Amino acid sequence: MLNPAAAYRFLACQPPGRGGWLTWRRPLLVAFVLGCTMSLITSSSLTLRLAVPATIYWSFVPLAEIAALAAVCWRGRRARSFRQTVDLFFAGHGQWLFWLIGLCAIWSFVPPGISSRTIAFTQVWLYGAGAIVVVWSAYIDFWFFRLVMGRNPARAGRDLVLQRLVSWAPIIAIFGGPAIPPEVAARLGVRFGL
Amino acid sequence: MTAVRWTAAGLLLASLSTGTIADSRPENPHLILGGYQVMAADFHVHSFPLSWATLAPWDTALEAQRQGLDAIAIVGHNHVWVSKVGRWFSRREGGPLVLTGEEIVSEHYHLLAIGIDSTIDWRQTAVRAIEQIHRQGGVAIAAHPLRQYWPAYDAQATQTLDGAEVLHPIAYGSVDVAAQLRQFYERAPLTAIGDSDYHGLGPMGLCRTYVFTKEKSQPGILDAIRHGRTVVYGRAGCTYGDPDLIRLAAVDGRLPQLALRTAAGATQAAGFLGLFSRIAGTLGLTAAAIAGFAIVGQTPASQIVTTGSR
Repeated sequence: MLNPAAAYRFLACQPPGRGGWLTWRRPLLVAFVLGCTMSLITSSSLTLRLAVPATIYWSFVPLAEIAALAAVCWRGRRARSFRQTVDLFFAGHGQWLFWLIGLCAIWSFVPPGISSRTIAFTQVWLYGAGAIVVVWSAYIDFWFFRLVMGRNPARAGRDLVLQRLVSWAPIIAIFGGPAIPPEVAARLGVRFGL
Repeated sequence: MTAVRWTAAGLLLASLSTGTIADSRPENPHLILGGYQVMAADFHVHSFPLSWATLAPWDTALEAQRQGLDAIAIVGHNHVWVSKVGRWFSRREGGPLVLTGEEIVSEHYHLLAIGIDSTIDWRQTAVRAIEQIHRQGGVAIAAHPLRQYWPAYDAQATQTLDGAEVLHPIAYGSVDVAAQLRQFYERAPLTAIGDSDYHGLGPMGLCRTYVFTKEKSQPGILDAIRHGRTVVYGRAGCTYGDPDLIRLAAVDGRLPQLALRTAAGATQAAGFLGLFSRIAGTLGLTAAAIAGFAIVGQTPASQIVTTGSR
């Protein structure tokens, strides 16, 4: 996570694992952490009632990422199986999980009555740390495309942008939905037919 | 790394067990004051998907029950279908009363349409949107009416509105914001509404409305909102709503006490089990992330992959 170039050089040299489990182990862990996060930030504890269903419906996030990865990488996989490609791609998701766990920690440990301090701290974490994670994850995935997929720098950058567009667009659309156009318009000062 | 994995599994198992045991549903007190049934309601609750919310409608309904709410309105951002799923589930499971609704999110205003069945287009003025809400038999509530939204509510819109959110979690973060909500509420005789604008962060019903209904049903609640029969308790003794009902509740004493507990977040997982679950859960997730994503190893120079140019 801290030195993605060295990590991916190391991982790319490892003998490929076997079995369907290889494809799903890290995506499932991402979905599970997402589900647990929803439980912790909602009820300040980890409950089966919330964690299990949230894990199921939030698995659309890793699924969208796998679909986008397939769209971008399917043809240029060299000798590596798609299972291994998925596993290595998700190996670069640690920073997202630590960011989510940080969000859980803030919302489950501070008193639930909202105060200005809680709001400020949450916003710093959500947007400040979130922005750092976005940039850092792009850096990690750039090295994934360079060293695992064997792309040159320009092609690695292009694949990274494509992967982000293909996966993040549906994720944001499903999460945010029909309020996105007016929200964007409000920020840009655009008027819609009034 | 195996030790970290086992530690993560153990902590998460312990956290899930204790959290599930501590996950109790409080019995809602059945309050009858002045011949009215008093219902705790939150009319501004969002559900996954399509509304920047984390919990699906069925989980939202169950969570409302756990937070001691008798009624919620699930309001999708510019759509109503998720609220219909929530209503169907809650009826089936004997959960709280789920009112169908929509938060009409326009670039000029945010408006809650409660008790409607068809989506109302956001590309129109507030007055026209309110007209359409009334045509469907619903009530229109100004959602977090901060100063930036005031121009959208001209005199006609303000007069036809049924209610306004006078209490919202954002008011707890800033004195100025609290004053803006209060000023809008005082512009016209509007029904006082307290809502949590729940998206998943923090407890649902942190701000809530006590509705004095003749019957525990959607028509009963809509009728109470139309006729201003609500009371909203803020912090530091601020109370909004019908002065007669506020007095009635104060004399009785039970409602202000209940409101004080919920405003302090007393319905969150409390006690030793809750605390243990949250500590073990956070540590367990951290250990799982370390075990699953930390790459341990050295890169022998001879094994470095040469990057081709494609």
